[in-house]
Amino acid sequence: MEPQTKRWKGSECDTDSWVAYPVLSDEQSQDVELIEAFAAPIVNKKETSRLVRELSSHYPLNSLQHIKRVRAVKAKGSPHPLEVLVCLVSDAPDMTVVDIKSLLPSDKVKPEGLGEPFVVKVPARPPLTRPQFELASKHWPTSFHEDKQVTVALKGELFGPAQKSMMHTYMMSAVAAARAGHELGMEAVGAVVVDPVMERVIAVGHDCRGDHPLHHAVMVCIDLVAQSQGGGCYSFDKYPTCTFTAPTLATTENPPDSEGSSQPYICTRYDFYVTREPCVMCAMALVHSRVGRVFYGAASADGALGTKFKIHSQKDLNHRFEVYKGVLGEQCEDLSSLDQTKRNSLQEKR
Amino acid sequence: MGTDKGGTAVSEGSLSVSDGDIERWMTCAFEMAADALKGGEVPVGCLMVYENQVVGKGRNEVNETKNATRHAEMVALDQLLDWCHHSDLDVKGVCKRTALYVTVEPCIMCAAALRLLNIPVVVFGCRNERFGGCGSVLDVSSAGLPQTGSPFRCVSGHRADEAVEMLKTFYKQENPNAPKPKPRRD
Repeated sequence: MEPQTKRWKGSECDTDSWVAYPVLSDEQSQDVELIEAFAAPIVNKKETSRLVRELSSHYPLNSLQHIKRVRAVKAKGSPHPLEVLVCLVSDAPDMTVVDIKSLLPSDKVKPEGLGEPFVVKVPARPPLTRPQFELASKHWPTSFHEDKQVTVALKGELFGPAQKSMMHTYMMSAVAAARAGHELGMEAVGAVVVDPVMERVIAVGHDCRGDHPLHHAVMVCIDLVAQSQGGGCYSFDKYPTCTFTAPTLATTENPPDSEGSSQPYICTRYDFYVTREPCVMCAMALVHSRVGRVFYGAASADGALGTKFKIHSQKDLNHRFEVYKGVLGEQCEDLSSLDQTKRNSLQEKR
Repeated sequence: MGTDKGGTAVSEGSLSVSDGDIERWMTCAFEMAADALKGGEVPVGCLMVYENQVVGKGRNEVNETKNATRHAEMVALDQLLDWCHHSDLDVKGVCKRTALYVTVEPCIMCAAALRLLNIPVVVFGCRNERFGGCGSVLDVSSAGLPQTGSPFRCVSGHRADEAVEMLKTFYKQENPNAPKPKPRRD
């Protein structure tokens, strides 16, 4: 252990050197999609509530529940203070020359108080994050049910100094495991499994694919966790860095048959710290293992928790989990370059 | 064996499986699945066939190992690797001439594992709507993943209805090892 800590002298408690950002679903991270609609100025403010009532009944805009029907016109000196959304452009497909009367059936919506319509672009989907909300609002006001945790996480401020210091320690241990594995000729990837409630390391593992092509660090750790529960199907005894600890059973606090009792079930609620983004196999193995959260340092080319897929937020799958990237990013990137050096020297030998 | 130099010359799909092969090996796979169901296990049968011999066979071992990755395919792949070591054959050379026969579409994890080992052909019965990695949830078998082995060809639909019926029967029973689900108010 000693040489590793020396090699990373100064980084031991330097939690300011990295920021953990959430890896959000596609829906949460995509650009704001816009759809064309007709809006019209409300020239007589007193007609507003009647207009909204009649328009909502005739053009309910069911797919745009998030859109506010009326917006205030902010530009100073505007002749009218309010504008109202009449309908989608697709609601009036055959219209060549648009005037307000042709958009409104005279018996249902009386056009009094409305000016001539014009085309606007409005957000097609409800915003899910604050950045999406801010972008959407530039086009047309929308409602927004803010997930405060996501907002804070996007700013990189979800984890306080105490939490970051723990995360730093866990990832340092994963980096050390990666280096130990690399010394044995494996790819430089390490992983650590933590019970975040007990603040306890359950397993430490590294890539072992020199022995078995599917023994990526995550797969090794999943089996080590199984071993900690009296199961498992491999032996990693010859790798001193691959270890597990039996979880402490909080049996004294919970009656044995109580709901959610202390008996651990696969990786439920455990956190995984992995030096690089897991591949498709490992990411899906984490879904099957019902992991709590995953933290990784560096992205990988075929990564399945952000780069190629987002398996942790994949529709149709029965388990989802939070993913954060960038923990000890620099040290984890350095590990990838170790592997690159190895690959190059192998190619030279051929 | 001369397997070292065939790297790119033997392209994917070069391993052909005949209707006779499918009939024969899927019959075995379905027998395994039926046995598993009788024993209260997930009814999935799977075997890996290299040059007309079974070099790996698997059934789901998740409950006894407490390792959620022990799907039938992963167990069969381990047997294939052991077989290669015992027979002193090169794993890569064997894998690229091995077909997997399985009653249910491999999940996303197993599909990626099969890619990583460069298995060229997978024959399966029914789709796996919950986890399928060959088109149902994701298509790992053909996705552009240059660092994840090679894509593989799928032959699907053989006795699909039977495979679905077995799964339905199984999922009506309870998994005694799973945590008690919280009551849902739907």
